[in-house]
Amino acid sequence: MVEEKTRLPELRERIRRIERPTAAGHGVLPFGIAAIDRALPGGGLARGALHEILGMGGDEEDGAVAAAFAAGILGRLTTQESSAGDGTVLWCLPRPDLYGPGLAAHGLDPSRLVLVRAPRDAEILWAMEEGLRAPGIAAVVGEVGTLPAVASRRLQLAAERSGIAAFLLRRWRDGGQAARERNLPNAAVTRWRIAALPSQPPSIPSPAPTLTLPRLRGREWEGVGWGAGVGRARWRVELLRCRGGEPACWEVEKADATGHVSLPSALADRPAASVPAERFRRAS
Amino acid sequence: MPLADALSFFPGLATCPAEPAEEAAALRSLAEWCCRYSPWTAPDGTDGVRIEITGSAHLWGGETALAADLAARLDRRQIAGRIAIADTLGAAWATARFAEGKSPIILPPGEIRAALAPLPVEALRLAPATTQGLRRVGLKRIGDLAAMPRDALASRFGEMVARRLDQAQGDLPEPLSPLGEAPTRRVRLSFAEPIADPADLLRATERLVEDLVPRLAQEGSGARRLDLGFHRVDGRVERIRLGTARPSRDPRHLTALFKERLDTIDPGLGIEDVILAAFAVEPLAAEQIGLTGHPVGNGANGIAPLLDRLGNRLGLDAVSRLEPRESHIPERASVHVPISVAPAKAGAQRQPALVLGSLDPSPDGRPLRAVPGIRGDDEIRPPRPIRLFEPPEPVEAFWLLPDDPPFRFAWRRRRHRVTRADGPERIAEEWWRPEGSGAADAIRDYYRVEDEEGRRFWLFRAGLHGGDQPPRWFVHGVFS
Repeated sequence: MVEEKTRLPELRERIRRIERPTAAGHGVLPFGIAAIDRALPGGGLARGALHEILGMGGDEEDGAVAAAFAAGILGRLTTQESSAGDGTVLWCLPRPDLYGPGLAAHGLDPSRLVLVRAPRDAEILWAMEEGLRAPGIAAVVGEVGTLPAVASRRLQLAAERSGIAAFLLRRWRDGGQAARERNLPNAAVTRWRIAALPSQPPSIPSPAPTLTLPRLRGREWEGVGWGAGVGRARWRVELLRCRGGEPACWEVEKADATGHVSLPSALADRPAASVPAERFRRAS
Repeated sequence: MPLADALSFFPGLATCPAEPAEEAAALRSLAEWCCRYSPWTAPDGTDGVRIEITGSAHLWGGETALAADLAARLDRRQIAGRIAIADTLGAAWATARFAEGKSPIILPPGEIRAALAPLPVEALRLAPATTQGLRRVGLKRIGDLAAMPRDALASRFGEMVARRLDQAQGDLPEPLSPLGEAPTRRVRLSFAEPIADPADLLRATERLVEDLVPRLAQEGSGARRLDLGFHRVDGRVERIRLGTARPSRDPRHLTALFKERLDTIDPGLGIEDVILAAFAVEPLAAEQIGLTGHPVGNGANGIAPLLDRLGNRLGLDAVSRLEPRESHIPERASVHVPISVAPAKAGAQRQPALVLGSLDPSPDGRPLRAVPGIRGDDEIRPPRPIRLFEPPEPVEAFWLLPDDPPFRFAWRRRRHRVTRADGPERIAEEWWRPEGSGAADAIRDYYRVEDEEGRRFWLFRAGLHGGDQPPRWFVHGVFS
């Protein structure tokens, strides 16, 4: 029995080498949460690969939550003590709306970034590919709307060859583009969708008084009230597609200043017997 | 003489309307073409070109050969002209227009006064009224003028006469301001047969870059701006302008940057000269390279070629860094600094911009790296969004009491109902700035609101209630 257990990783490595003979394993970046790391092959986010991050609802246009998720990952990547930890992060975007202090709050030091502004998606993809081929880059992020499958394949190959992690944040300008592009397949190794969830009310109520009004007859205003202050922000992290893994979904608290997401305390405190995260099959 | 009179004298006179703008443009392009002889070239009035050939005559085999080459090329382009070479600008001007003799005329050095003496006073570039005055008193030749005492001339005819005389004779300097910027270094490649093949153009570019790099290396400097000019046989000059983020003298890198833009060059009927000029040369110390040929140690130097490639294709302002600034106004707290502005010293340690819990510095003085699992103190500093809109986008907001956050707002055609809110955080204009102080919108009350879906926004109210204008609401950013 023990022999078979040790043979399994060895067999996996042999299969991987047969499938992709040129790609060297570049290592993984674990999330630090057992539930998420179990679902990813290798126990973490693969370096040297292309990862796609989508938003949901209004976030498809702003890309705030997706950017925060990426910032958390990049923050952990750049604070690692390895050769990849010393490089610059190339962030390619169409509009200059990324805010430094906001990135710092998620663990990514804004002085490690180089921003590249390009109005067209084709130019952003070109800039990402150039970044993946250059020495001294730790990671490459690009915000694109249209993604031709050929371009995604080229990015994946370039990432594999150089061992640099590449992230694609999908941002769409309008519903039509979103509907067209959302379900197109591409060559990304993992596909994530992050949605913002209502936050948990803080344990200590904020000093602001709560105010509610009764429903006004005939109007659409309901019990108007803004309750206690905004608590710890929460995300729903869905792994829609993963090469070598299964889709899954987790509810986490947003990345803190070190870049780590964490399970909400109510769920994390459950006894070990029950499964803290819901897993279900989802057609990707 | 008016045109009607001229036509009455000579009925078959060919006339065409004058087009001063086109003529000026044509003269300018001719002057640009003459840059092949020397970068110190400028159009002269409306019908001439002046070229400073002090340092470049020897490259053409002497002044006579240069003048002959210029005459032959002008002839080929069917431009009628007279060429004169002299010690001073004034003398050359006078000789070209008024001296008798076959063009090109080369005045031997040191014999200006004798050559200028027989020329008429119009050759001194004076106003017509002045020359008429001079002729009326009998001064018809420059030689006569030179003999007169200077103060008498100045008092009678003004400063200009004496000045022009001195300039022409070489007693006063007269600098020439060139058409473009004067380059620091320039290398040229001329072809006996005009070339048009893109492969040949690329080879010419490589040769020139290899020619330029040792000169830069000798003085320990690198070029920040380069200009590659292709002179076509029909006189037009096609240029490729290049800028680099850091001074560079790596031939492969520079050739690759030029090669990307080489297909924008239209060779027309052929290119006869290629000139590479380096401007903005900055000191660049020698670098240690590793066995693979790449510089040892990545750091800011490692990605400089990448930044150059990105900057030259997308514009040097498109590549930038985020730098923090001391300001409590959110949009001024973090600025985009283009990469072409000098970056921080390569040896400076990177200080993380965030405070991670309570830390004692490690023994060697550097801040500790983040320890996984420790929650950061995002409660201590006011929270800031990850996306900031510049300018802030106006929203329509409904609120109950003056100090309340809105309970409902409409943004980008979507309605949001607020379930939770934090605030207000008051941010007022910086009082030490003269502009914008005292404006009603100067005071902003920021609220962090969460709507029923869970999205979190950063709203602010600009202006206070009770003023003559109602306050306006804006969305400044989106939290995650």
